[in-house]
Amino acid sequence: MSNQKSGEPNLTSVEKIKMKSDGLRGSLTDSLKDELTGALREDDQSLIKHHGMYQQDDRDLREERAQKKLEWLYSYMIRLRLPGGFLSPAQWIALHHIAGEHSTGVIKITTRQTIQLHGILKSHLKPTLKAFAIQRLDSIAACGDVNRNVICSAHPKQSRVHEEVFQYADKISTLALPKTNAYYEIWLDRESLTSKEEEKDPLYQDRYLPRKFKIAIAIPPNNDVDVYANDIGLIAVIENDKLLGFNLAIGGGLGATHGNKDTYPRLATVIGFLDTEEKILKAIYEVMTVQRDYGNRSDRKQARLKYTIDKMGIDQFKSQVEERCGFKFEPARDFQFEERTDYFGWHQNHEGKWYYTVFVENGRVADEKRSIKTALYEIAKTGKANFRFTANQKVILSDIEPGDKEAVNQILLDYDLIEHTEDASPIRRNAVACVAMNTCPLALAEGQRYLPALIGKIEPLLKKYKLLQDPISIRMTGCPNGCGRPYLAEIGLVGTSYGHYNLHLGGDRLGLRLNEKMYENVNEETILNILDPLLKKYAGSKKKYKSFGDFIHLNPALTPT
Amino acid sequence: MLSEGRLRALNDFIEKTSKEELIWINGYIAGLISSSGLKTSEAATSQKKFTILYGTDTGNSKKLALEFTAAAKKQGAKVKMAGMDTYRTEDLKQEKFLCIILSTHGDGDPPPSAKKFYDYLMDTSTWYPELEFAVLALGDTSYPYYCKAGDDVHQRFVALGANAVFPVQKCDVDYQDDANAWYQTYLNSFPVEAPKEALVPAKKVSHGKKWYTGIIQGNTNLNGHTSNKETHHIEIRTLEPILYEPGDSLGMIPKNKKSTVDRILQMVHIDPMLSVPYKGGGHTLLHLLTNVLNISFLKESQVQKYADLHEHEIPKIRMDLIDLVRLYPVLHANLFIEFITHLNEQTPRLYSICSSPRVREFEMHILVSKNTFTAMNEVKYGLASDQLSGFEESSSIDFYIHKNKSFRLPSPETDIIMIGPGTGIAPMRSFLEDRDAIGAEGKNWLLFGEQHFTSDFFYQTEIQQYASTGSLSRVDLAWSRDQKEKYYVQHRMLEKGKELYEWIQRGAHVYISGTRSPMSEDVEKAWIDIFYTHGGKSAPESEDFLNELKESGQYKADVY
Repeated sequence: MSNQKSGEPNLTSVEKIKMKSDGLRGSLTDSLKDELTGALREDDQSLIKHHGMYQQDDRDLREERAQKKLEWLYSYMIRLRLPGGFLSPAQWIALHHIAGEHSTGVIKITTRQTIQLHGILKSHLKPTLKAFAIQRLDSIAACGDVNRNVICSAHPKQSRVHEEVFQYADKISTLALPKTNAYYEIWLDRESLTSKEEEKDPLYQDRYLPRKFKIAIAIPPNNDVDVYANDIGLIAVIENDKLLGFNLAIGGGLGATHGNKDTYPRLATVIGFLDTEEKILKAIYEVMTVQRDYGNRSDRKQARLKYTIDKMGIDQFKSQVEERCGFKFEPARDFQFEERTDYFGWHQNHEGKWYYTVFVENGRVADEKRSIKTALYEIAKTGKANFRFTANQKVILSDIEPGDKEAVNQILLDYDLIEHTEDASPIRRNAVACVAMNTCPLALAEGQRYLPALIGKIEPLLKKYKLLQDPISIRMTGCPNGCGRPYLAEIGLVGTSYGHYNLHLGGDRLGLRLNEKMYENVNEETILNILDPLLKKYAGSKKKYKSFGDFIHLNPALTPT
Repeated sequence: MLSEGRLRALNDFIEKTSKEELIWINGYIAGLISSSGLKTSEAATSQKKFTILYGTDTGNSKKLALEFTAAAKKQGAKVKMAGMDTYRTEDLKQEKFLCIILSTHGDGDPPPSAKKFYDYLMDTSTWYPELEFAVLALGDTSYPYYCKAGDDVHQRFVALGANAVFPVQKCDVDYQDDANAWYQTYLNSFPVEAPKEALVPAKKVSHGKKWYTGIIQGNTNLNGHTSNKETHHIEIRTLEPILYEPGDSLGMIPKNKKSTVDRILQMVHIDPMLSVPYKGGGHTLLHLLTNVLNISFLKESQVQKYADLHEHEIPKIRMDLIDLVRLYPVLHANLFIEFITHLNEQTPRLYSICSSPRVREFEMHILVSKNTFTAMNEVKYGLASDQLSGFEESSSIDFYIHKNKSFRLPSPETDIIMIGPGTGIAPMRSFLEDRDAIGAEGKNWLLFGEQHFTSDFFYQTEIQQYASTGSLSRVDLAWSRDQKEKYYVQHRMLEKGKELYEWIQRGAHVYISGTRSPMSEDVEKAWIDIFYTHGGKSAPESEDFLNELKESGQYKADVY
């Protein structure tokens, strides 16, 4: 058991940085003042993650700038904390302007239902965060070894109790918020608290969690949030339009490291049912404290909850949590996932309000082929629609009164967004890609800059075999860390080196079964050559299988083991 | 070191001595030296002089390199530090002691920033028998190719005849303690040796212009791709030592563009090889037009001379020769030849040198801003700056050294304040290199400004290095276009007025370089303001004080 306390010699450097950081302050104030560099001091680079930021640099320019005796072009990514993924029209307008003034201008919708901005220079960090603060938005704990953005089934037509379930995202986010005042002092120039007593943090103490922590809430039958990919998954149990409680699943996580056999993606295990809000929040809290106390702090590649659980055994882990809760979990209730999808186009909820889900390729809101950014800005200015984000990088214009639908529809028509959404093939609409090159420091290969082009080459194959309307899921990430959830796709592409990917096949369409790595280090040509005959055979025997993933899974002879 | 006779005697003695005896003698002499009873030409000291070369991905190697450099400098060692991405592999031949810090990345590869260096080493067949090297390899034991890049470099250097001081030191992710211990051992491994007589041999200063022919060995636009400017850092190498001091300038005479000269010759219909008398000498017309005469932006009087000769009506304006002959064609060859004698010789252009001869004896760097201006509704480039910035590697340049005796460094223990915005940074870089190389004790304060931090910070990585090793005590920057209000170096000065005045009072020398107007004037106003505000002086006293500083040589300007 690795219940490490401070002072143990084999703690990772990040652990030491967190503990001596004085509530995540470190030397950030000095780092920001240093005018010679656009970078932060090394330790502070770990700390700002907990404030929702990453230091990045334009990797395309590294060599050129070294020649020019310029340091790397450092900039920052800021990720908002948006439990459940919701912005008012006023907030969207502010975001639009902040993105234009301080960042690359692209608004990126992430796979965790939030927004991130890229390319913000060090000198622009405080102005950006202050501008967000005016809109009551913050980036606290959006990255780092803490609970990240809590995600929740996005579409309100999903259920009559959607609003009630959605509220849980906010409650959980607040429960798991670090208590330190550092964010307000460093970024917003607020006064420091008079006593440190006020920032005592019984949940995170001074060491936070051993690794990142993700929580998702799903409303069956839709598994749009990929609930099993999270450290904690809550699955709503609803009967006769009444929320009875949640099944609790723990220990999901997709990240792995190439060449490190001790790392692997793992789906969350359902361990029981909880009925009251008090019990649900308590259980979540104690899962986190057990992970805090038992998680591995000497090897970050073994630090996620999934490894803690697999080392302790799920039963032992569960009883440890139950003991700390002071109550036992009820047996899990029955539930069924039947789809994993965003509801594109116009839909109405039980109250008669209207929703339009816009196709946004890889979540990049910009004015490129279509003026999506301007269109959304125009819609926000009418004040007639809220903005909700899906866990698959799409935006839902939501809560539109029947009388306002026409006005919103007209703007969508004016900017060709209806055509844009309807014309996209199902494989393209369901696709997910992470940011990767040129800013993500972890990327080994391209993600969002390349997947659209690859799909453009797969679509003719689908057309050839009359599969174009088949919503096969394809996901790409530039590294094995799993931000784009590639291990839960029918076709998963995991970057290994520039232009090369591991090709994973055989995941199901609902996110209930991991795919398997079938081919290593393949380039585009090989990927297409592999997919072509498989798609052909699948098309020929389609009636027997629910999905391409199932077809691969049930015909192991077709692929290498 | 030994005279020929004494060397012969020693060799004779050695020849007649057995191996065992030699080993004993070896120890005996070592004992004698260490007991300090022996006379040496000067006190024997450990003259540590070495280069730290790092290859970094996440910044750990660089961090160590900076720490090591700072630590060594504190001990008085002479350390050069460079990243493998900017290091010139041809300089390897000149290295004697090399300390390498290299991380390993992915499947045993060197980090991308070190790839060029690594590939060179793997491909080269250059022999390095003089090189003493040591490798500190950073890695992660959870990967199969732990520290492989470091291993590769070590083995390759051995294969190329270099001498390894130690086996490779490998460090895991918690590298700090191991690295520090290793470095301490490394520093202690330097042999005790007598210092050389002097760092730079005194040379006879020759009078009159001495012309050098140099080879361009590097020409880089230092501005990032988003910049509004184009400023070239040009490295020139010669076969003989260049006699110059920090503060001096390079002088060169620009050649007129071949395309322009050809076009003129075509329009005037005269044989380019025709010999034309000019200032008592005879040259071909081609040579005169290309190498001798100024043919751009002719003076009004010259244009009018052309008008008189041709009996044309030409407006009283300045013009380029090419436009003149195009708009007002030459009537007769003789008239043109006659006109030619009224043209001026090309004036030499001066560029501040930005390197120190104490770091590079056969090499010199200059910083050239590509000058653009609009004339007759056309964007034009300054002839010399266009020529210099267009130089390709290996092309040659003729130049001389323009001495600048009123812009010299003070004694090494005197503090200096360097105000050099834009290309005004050039002599300051030369000062910094120089004071860093001799380990000057005086403190250095640099004030620099340009338009944008991300694209116009000349020599940023070098300045960072000087700042982190202590060679620069203070750096203040002003970016004029990074915020809504224009903000220049003089504004920065006013903010730091109190400290600047304290430095002046403690005898710091002030250097200003850059544009005369408005920069140097604004800077002077800022100083007067500072003397008034922080020196308790009246307005006239403040002005007088500035003049006193100028007269005493404590305030030096090289502006243009």
